[in-house]
Amino acid sequence: MIILISKRKFDVPVQAACISPDVFKGKTTAEIANMPVTEGNRNLKLGDLFEIQEDNLETPYITINGDAGKVKRIGSNMKTGEIVVNGDCGMHTGEKMAGGKITVNGNIGGWSGNDMKGGLIEVHGDAGDYLASPYRGTATGMKGGVIIVDGKVGSDSGCYLHGGVLKIKGGAGRFLGYHMSDGVILVDKEVDVRPGACMTGGKIVITGTVEEVMPSFTIDSVKPKVKIDDTTNVAGPFYVFLGDLAEHGTGKIFVNKACNPQMKFYEKYL
Amino acid sequence: MTSEVKSVVCPICGCLCDDLEVTVENNEIVKMKNGCSVCEAKMVHGYKSEERILKPMIRKDGELVPVSMDEAVKKAAKILTDAKYPLLFGWSSSTSEAQRIGVELAEELGSALDNCCSVCHGPSVMATQEIGIPASTLGQIRHRADLIVYWACNPWTSHPRHLERYTSFTDGRFEKSEWKSYMQKMKGDASMKKVQAASKRIIGSTIPAMRPDACALNAPPQTMQKEGRKLIVVDVRKTMTADAADYFIQVQPNKDYEIIEALRCLVGDQELDVDTVGGVKVEYLKDVADAMVNCEFGVIFFGLGLTQSAGRFRNIENAIALTRDLNRKTKFVISPMRGHFNVTGANVVFAWSTGYPYALDFSQGYPQYNPGEFTTIDLLRRGDNDATLVISADPGAHFPKAAVQNMMKHPLITINPDMNAISRLGDVVFPTQWCGIECEGTAYRMDHVPIMLRKVVEPPKGILNDEELLKRILAEVRVIKGKNPDTETKAEVKERNKLAPRIEIKQRKKAKKVEVA
Repeated sequence: MIILISKRKFDVPVQAACISPDVFKGKTTAEIANMPVTEGNRNLKLGDLFEIQEDNLETPYITINGDAGKVKRIGSNMKTGEIVVNGDCGMHTGEKMAGGKITVNGNIGGWSGNDMKGGLIEVHGDAGDYLASPYRGTATGMKGGVIIVDGKVGSDSGCYLHGGVLKIKGGAGRFLGYHMSDGVILVDKEVDVRPGACMTGGKIVITGTVEEVMPSFTIDSVKPKVKIDDTTNVAGPFYVFLGDLAEHGTGKIFVNKACNPQMKFYEKYL
Repeated sequence: MTSEVKSVVCPICGCLCDDLEVTVENNEIVKMKNGCSVCEAKMVHGYKSEERILKPMIRKDGELVPVSMDEAVKKAAKILTDAKYPLLFGWSSSTSEAQRIGVELAEELGSALDNCCSVCHGPSVMATQEIGIPASTLGQIRHRADLIVYWACNPWTSHPRHLERYTSFTDGRFEKSEWKSYMQKMKGDASMKKVQAASKRIIGSTIPAMRPDACALNAPPQTMQKEGRKLIVVDVRKTMTADAADYFIQVQPNKDYEIIEALRCLVGDQELDVDTVGGVKVEYLKDVADAMVNCEFGVIFFGLGLTQSAGRFRNIENAIALTRDLNRKTKFVISPMRGHFNVTGANVVFAWSTGYPYALDFSQGYPQYNPGEFTTIDLLRRGDNDATLVISADPGAHFPKAAVQNMMKHPLITINPDMNAISRLGDVVFPTQWCGIECEGTAYRMDHVPIMLRKVVEPPKGILNDEELLKRILAEVRVIKGKNPDTETKAEVKERNKLAPRIEIKQRKKAKKVEVA
């Protein structure tokens, strides 16, 4: 096991895509310390910023202690192994991740899990904006894997979602699941406006509250429970909305009936 | 000595009106014709302000002390090269020639580079990248548009000559001006007010208005069926532009997205389950959708009410999608109401030199683009940068407190003609010439048409323009980095020229040919 301890508080962003079990595999601490990173516009070695220790325990493979709030791209392109971050974690964590596990015992920055294909990201804190959303101009976002967030997530989470599961135990910001075409998003607390805008497929399950659904969604039915993945079912009852009609979509939004009495008027169309 | 300069271009807003007539007396503008009130305020009075900076200054012991240009340039270059992650912000009131040098400087420094559009129409640029944009030049709109929609903007005060030069109140080749009907409406309104006042005096109560107030609470008025140009205004409050409109839709704040979405459904012949959307009855929206589908050439102009309210670039994306849907049935275009006179130019110049229009980062040696990560406010709020250069902008007066506080923790270089809020906070303060008054250069109109700004008066002695000043800072930065232009190898020059615009290379080739001849 490799333990990285930040030597000081970083005041400008650090890009460290090399922090990944696949890259560290089979390398000595001296070799790891020599890997390139950047701090702002300065080209440095990983050893300049982090103290690197080795431990005989097998898992978790990499542990990061200290200040990593401005360290970007941790676990980028990761396929196997495990990373544990004890503290906050910067942007783009686990981008293009295909397997393995990242656990963050703190908050996580924006664009985490973007273009993810597999694996698991667990956040025991809040997540920034654009969780599991792709870069600008990309038409497909996360394609597989699971992201679990204990706290709340920012706006535009799960944009262009094309597969995989997002489980959010706190609230979610605006435009949750924007333009999603497949996959599942589950939110347990309040969701800000415009969930599922422009969605063409997939499902958003809101067991908490939402002020309204977009006018371009139409009510379909009331269902007693909904399936999240192979192991989880959530009990309702739920209003089921179909949309987005403006995109001729067939996505579904499940809204908890008990928590959202303001949507009672939709029942007249059933 | 008095002279008259004609066809002067106005360096204020994105309209870039190019028909100003300026009278110059003893190297001072004394009178002007054709300009709007905003233009006159800057070109006749504003540029001669008492707050004009006439010498470069450096902060020593908390006080700004005048120094020589050489010393200030050296100090600025030192600050920028010492910083691990500087930020270069501003550019929208600068010439495109200066902006090009700015990109070169950012690349040399490995800094973040952003322009004012990140706090105005950046979302429009992002939406355009996501979905594309059906646009046209303002000339086309002037001659052909028979339905004009101003969405969340108030050109009557922000772009005062927009209606007069490009839309409702101009005589195009195929569409006539609606100025007369507007004047009649104003006269009617004024006399109605008099009648109301008189009836209040005599009867004690007002009589019901003949013409209902053209607002979303009422159905669209009969004038929506008329021949000729129609004007619809969508806004959260009744503005001066809304007074001139045939139909005004008052939306609840932050509900524009829902209204656009509803209109998209209605244009696509879909039924809606709800009765009202964003405070507007769906039946009225149906009439608006009808008017949009039945026009021959429609245009939507949108402003900051759409780009900076909840939803930001998603609002614009949806508005563009509405325009796309409308194009299946008629001809429709959409255009942002760009603010500063060359903010479009900043996008254009950054895009042709790096591939990206704003929110740039050169820290990895190549340009990266990600609004939200490299946009100025986000960057400053997170406290990511450790030095700032501000050119032709005033974030001190307009940015959130947290952003300015973080900016003040690190050295600050400012380049502005007069002592605005940010210049007062600067550590190195450069004076500069007023673009379009004291120096010439290129600017891009809001519809991406480049127009040459003119020099009308001579600048004060010893003050450089933005381009010259940035070139000096860039040269000094290169000297510090050990890239002295005098000792640069041929391979290095070749590498650098790869990034230079083709025009410059062509000009150089031409010059060589002339030399040979």
